[in-house]
Amino acid sequence: MFNHHTPGGLVLPTRRKFLQQVGQGFGSLALATLLNEETRAASALNPLLPKRPDFAPRAKAVIWLFMTGAPSHMDTFDYKPELQKRSGQVLPGSDPKTGFFTTSGKILKSPFGWQQHGQSGTWVSDILPHMARHVDDMTFIHSCYVKGNNHAPASIELMCGTNIPGRPSSGAWVTYGLGTENQNLPAFVVMHDRKPRGDDQIWSAGFLPKTYQALALDARRKEAIDNVLRAKDETDEQQRSAIEMLRDVNSAHAQARANQADLNARINSFELAYRMQTAAPEALDFQSETEATRKLYGVGEKNTDTFGRQCLIARRLIERGVRYIQIFAGRGTGGDGSVDDVPWDGHDNIETNHRSCAAATDQPAAALLADLKARGLLDSTLVVWGGEFGRTSDSQGSRGRDHNPHAFTIWMAGGGTRGGGFHYGATDEFGYKAVEKKVHVNDLHATILHLLGLDHEKLTYRFNGRDFRLTDVGGHVIRDIIA
Amino acid sequence: MGWAVLLGAAAGAAEPVAASPEAIAFFEKKIRPVLAESCYKCHSVEAKAQGKLKGGLFLDTREGVLAGGDTGPAVVPGKPDASLLVKAVRWSDPDMEMPPKHKLADSIIADIAKWVEIGLPDPRLGPKGSAKREINVAQERGFRSFKPLAAGSPPEVKNAAWARSPVDRFVLARQEAAGVTPSAPLSREKLARRAFFDLTGLPPSPEELAEFLKDQSSDAFPKLVDRLLASPRYGERWGRHWLDLVRYAESNGYEFDAYRNGAYHYRDWVIRALNADMPYSDFVRWQLAGDKIEPGSYDGAAATGFLVAGPYPGQLTAKTEERIRYDQLDDMLSTIGSSMLGLTVECVRCHEHKYDPIPHPDYYALAAVFGKTVHGTQQHTPEKEAAKAELDAHRATLGTLVAALRKFETEQLPARLEKWSQAAVPKPAPDPRWQTLDVVEVSGTQAILESKPDGVVAFVARPKLDPKAKPANDPNIITYTVVAHTFQKNIKAVRLDAIPDKKLPKSGPGLAGDGSFNLADFSVTASPANAGNKAAPVKLKLTPGQARFAEKEMPVANAVDANPATGWRAKDKPGVENSAAFAIQGGFPGFDGGTVLTFRFDFRADAIGRLRLAMTTEPFPPQADVIIGPPAPQVADVFAGGADFQHLRELRAMLDGKLVDANRADAVRWLSRFDEPSKKVFNAVADHARKVPQPKPAEVYTAVSGGRDVFLLRRGEVDSKEGKATPGFIQVLATKEPGRWLAQPERDPRIALGDWMADSEGGAGHLLARVIVNRVWKHHFGRGIVATPNDFGAQGAMPTHPELLDFLAGEFIRGGWKLKPLHRLMMLTAAYQQGADANVQNQQRDPENKLLWQMSSRRLEAEAIRDALLSVGEKLDTKMFGSPETAVESPRRSVYLRVKRSELVPFLTLFDAPDATRSIGDRGATTLPTQALTMLNSPFVRDMAGRLAKRALAKGATPEAAIEQMFLIAFSRPPTAAERAKFGGYFLKQKETMGGADPNLAAQAAEKAFAATCLVALASNEFIYVD
Repeated sequence: MFNHHTPGGLVLPTRRKFLQQVGQGFGSLALATLLNEETRAASALNPLLPKRPDFAPRAKAVIWLFMTGAPSHMDTFDYKPELQKRSGQVLPGSDPKTGFFTTSGKILKSPFGWQQHGQSGTWVSDILPHMARHVDDMTFIHSCYVKGNNHAPASIELMCGTNIPGRPSSGAWVTYGLGTENQNLPAFVVMHDRKPRGDDQIWSAGFLPKTYQALALDARRKEAIDNVLRAKDETDEQQRSAIEMLRDVNSAHAQARANQADLNARINSFELAYRMQTAAPEALDFQSETEATRKLYGVGEKNTDTFGRQCLIARRLIERGVRYIQIFAGRGTGGDGSVDDVPWDGHDNIETNHRSCAAATDQPAAALLADLKARGLLDSTLVVWGGEFGRTSDSQGSRGRDHNPHAFTIWMAGGGTRGGGFHYGATDEFGYKAVEKKVHVNDLHATILHLLGLDHEKLTYRFNGRDFRLTDVGGHVIRDIIA
Repeated sequence: MGWAVLLGAAAGAAEPVAASPEAIAFFEKKIRPVLAESCYKCHSVEAKAQGKLKGGLFLDTREGVLAGGDTGPAVVPGKPDASLLVKAVRWSDPDMEMPPKHKLADSIIADIAKWVEIGLPDPRLGPKGSAKREINVAQERGFRSFKPLAAGSPPEVKNAAWARSPVDRFVLARQEAAGVTPSAPLSREKLARRAFFDLTGLPPSPEELAEFLKDQSSDAFPKLVDRLLASPRYGERWGRHWLDLVRYAESNGYEFDAYRNGAYHYRDWVIRALNADMPYSDFVRWQLAGDKIEPGSYDGAAATGFLVAGPYPGQLTAKTEERIRYDQLDDMLSTIGSSMLGLTVECVRCHEHKYDPIPHPDYYALAAVFGKTVHGTQQHTPEKEAAKAELDAHRATLGTLVAALRKFETEQLPARLEKWSQAAVPKPAPDPRWQTLDVVEVSGTQAILESKPDGVVAFVARPKLDPKAKPANDPNIITYTVVAHTFQKNIKAVRLDAIPDKKLPKSGPGLAGDGSFNLADFSVTASPANAGNKAAPVKLKLTPGQARFAEKEMPVANAVDANPATGWRAKDKPGVENSAAFAIQGGFPGFDGGTVLTFRFDFRADAIGRLRLAMTTEPFPPQADVIIGPPAPQVADVFAGGADFQHLRELRAMLDGKLVDANRADAVRWLSRFDEPSKKVFNAVADHARKVPQPKPAEVYTAVSGGRDVFLLRRGEVDSKEGKATPGFIQVLATKEPGRWLAQPERDPRIALGDWMADSEGGAGHLLARVIVNRVWKHHFGRGIVATPNDFGAQGAMPTHPELLDFLAGEFIRGGWKLKPLHRLMMLTAAYQQGADANVQNQQRDPENKLLWQMSSRRLEAEAIRDALLSVGEKLDTKMFGSPETAVESPRRSVYLRVKRSELVPFLTLFDAPDATRSIGDRGATTLPTQALTMLNSPFVRDMAGRLAKRALAKGATPEAAIEQMFLIAFSRPPTAAERAKFGGYFLKQKETMGGADPNLAAQAAEKAFAATCLVALASNEFIYVD
């Protein structure tokens, strides 16, 4: 699928590849044995080498489009006719303290028009015309809920399984469980504009070894990866001789210290680093895409440029074997009073806020689906869309909506999900609370791990005397949404 | 389980399930331990799981007891004599004698009978056969980590000559038993490098290394260890190890990750405590309760920063407040458990510990210890001694300067004055109606004031209140006292100006949030300046006065009405100068020999931020301005006209009289405005006096009082409260009654916790010692005797040398819990001073080196890598303590870099520095290509390589000599012949590619090429792996 190009004549041990090729002549059991043996020996050298999943995976990679600040489900994908009809009336069962601030207790209808789309006849609000064209590839989970009722705790919960910081995030767990296919690139990549509320805690490797930590790409920075560029006053030739010298010096050092695998691992790391210098900028170079592709994602357009670039880079990374990508969509189109680190946070005016955020993210997200599909990558790539919680059905002030941890919608596409515009779970008639087939973050994670071929109860790490899981002490695979 | 089941169960009982607390306490104390100890082995869910269940009888839930087994119900509530259980324990039926092997004590049998008689009070809910694991606390005290320290003596060994200390005999005995042999001793260079990094986290300089190598005496190494232990760098190195364990950070985490300005005092306290070798037992006690052990002290507050170093959300709502409070308690408990006791207690928040004998209530007993403890800040003066020394020095200098002034006054002043008066004496300006007063003295209550050279009195700060001082009569009244002198006669009026300033709220002139002030009372007292004049002081009679601005309800007259309840205020004039003028009724004639004017201001709550005083000797109100009849005099005119300093007129007044001792000091004051030598000597005193060093109170982030009662929560949920929790300890670690620590009625439970923790007789002291001794061992030997330093529970690793662990812990306690002797004990062993032999037989027999037959090389921690780079680049700044460095480029040691949870220092996290959310006992050392990128490309590392190159070249003129220096600096050893050749060749090759062939570029190319050579050294494994 992707080639391990090795510029500069440095040779990475390709025993695995060799075994894969030879293995086609063996029985699959023999191959498995060989690979396992090799994995054991090699993982001491490099814990990021690909590991065997627990069972056949449906997805090889995940792209999570995180709608930072929390979009309102009733204004995007969870159509509630009753809400539209009874705007201004008292919301039955409303609790003014449900959200983060205080809400009015009066129903606020969605200010947007709604249409049915696709074969599935899925209702989508008019602010998302691009995504609406892909509803038949999507699976909707309308009954998501979290425990945290503010951005950072809920985002930490959504990423790490509980709302207390310090646990590893899902991307770190997946990298720990599966390794990566491309050693020249990081396995777990996060992209953000202004950092979302909660910052690095959201994508932390927690107590897992830092091997599994995310590489965060800041859309505002030119040199996306720290120190990935050779110093300006150094030539390639000079650097190559430095790396050769290092290998020489380090090998002599290691020879005198037998059986210390970490010394050898570090010798290799310089050669990997050398290759990353070329591979990473190449992977991030969206300018090499055709104009049509760039246009599809909205790259170069004022409103969609940032998220468009991020989505396009996500596709390029997936093609190159990156395992887990999260994009934290930052800032709307501007002028709507939204805050950059929680753009979808429409406390004051859901209409202006969501129009702006939708205009910045709708086209790129749709383009990603279209592009992955066209390239045959959607089947093996799980795309997830959603925020950290939902919003209240009653108004905050007169036109805004407060946080609502009790209900929100997430959609998934590709990667072995059912698709076809399937709707799973439901909120009450006002969208206030998830009532049918409720899905907690632990269930979501269990399902994502399952699609990646991992048993969420077996993926454990012992820390301070306890075997921790991404799914803490909960989690059920949502079988109904799997194809 | 529905209500029906519960009721059904209760229906058979003489007493409902909801038994009284006393009855439950009886069960817990008398019955549960017996059941657990003597019955569960055959009559519990666990017994069933192990295939050992007998007679189908479960005694591990109440329902199980009631339902009974194969022979029917075990108990008839209320009727002991009719109950099978009671019959069985009485051994009255030979066919059913329980427990089968040993009859229970009669008192226990009586308790069981009583239990049945009072209706079987029993909180163990759930259907028959559904009980959770029952914890037998008494039995679990025999577990390896909980049992008392073994008093084993060091074992006999065959190769006794190898052993340098008893510690070695423990190590060697196991090696000999397993057939492995220790490695040869490490070279002295490498041993020095190991010791330097272990104790200080820095490499030896070539000079330090040479000094050690020169010392050929047998105690050279012990002396080196002592030197390093005495180095201030020791506390920084080992303080950082401790900070890992306590999830130390300086920000809230969560939503906005608000920065905690006062958090770093804890870090400083840790470093100081370790450098001072504070006994570890006290080190623990102070972190748990320093604020209670020494209330009001800086050290106490700083130490208790431990409790509150965890993450805490900046935004709370009513919905989440209570849960977050329990999260906060959990953070404290889990940190204490992991860092101090090596126990995972957080599991117990929701249920009994799955592996360790910690019952659910133990968690809440511990939590209740912190029931009145929350996050907060306090103001303290961190460096009292330094502040005192500074003040003393200031006083001494002032004394010298004043002496010089006095000398000037007697020896030179008369001549200067004479000279000045004989020159053309300047005339006062024609129209300075007001004379600004030169302030001689100023003081305040609840305010620190400063007198400025231009006659302005400025508010500096509120003083730190002494908690022991008696409160003022009215704490809302702030008083200023300002003293001026005059030799003039016939003073007609005084004036007060309140001056705006950008530093004041809303630019002032007042200190209230809106820039206003409230002057409740204002008075002027005149007294004779000359001690010879025995006239009584006079309180000047002031007219109601006039002000530029005043609120209608709060006119300036309120300031002179002798009623502190009323005041003068002008609320809506922020940033604008306000003034008041008061005529003196009948004028004041002035005292012979000069007058001291004492102005007293009583402000209500809000004082003036900057003020100036003036007086006039001219008619007041000014004649021309008097308007007969209403309306009232025009206010503006009262303040019109220029203002001049009083000095010129004072001198003129004085020249009429005589220069006597009493007025010399004032004379030099007045003259200093006109005469350069007088000015010099006068200002030297005035300027210095103005700079009185103030103790600098700092905000300390620490534990403060607050919080509510703690309840036992079923499944850890705040909606499932099961009664109030009272302070207590982990039972398995308390062989004495809790009263031993808690007994005294006023005893703070946190102090009691610390005492329990350090009590190796009846509390947790033996475990506390085992855990810390193991940590120190881990940092010296690369692996703990228990390989899971934060987990000494059943899931933790088995100790490789349990007897050694207990021996070390015992020595540690006997030595007064001192860490420095512990380091010596470990480092002065043959085991520590080993190298790493390639020994195939050892390798086969003990591939993981659990028996310590070699010392593997270890990668430095992130901070040590960064500090070592700064050190070899001669850029390291060893300034200690204080506010954290926000710039990652700071040359200070990494322990002083800011730890903001959302913005960790990339270089440090890259090399496995923890993310400061949970206790980390073992960082691990990952190897990543991004680390390699940093070593190759980062400006920081390249800069240090360049600096190392310059340093080496400065000492070694030829490339060969410079390479030797580079080795000594970076690797603490000279190069081998092969390395000389290899690095020399590399240098030449690099030089060539950098244009070294061109004679014009040769010098520059050589330097650049040598920097490239140094980069290889710094990036190499030898630099960051220490043997």
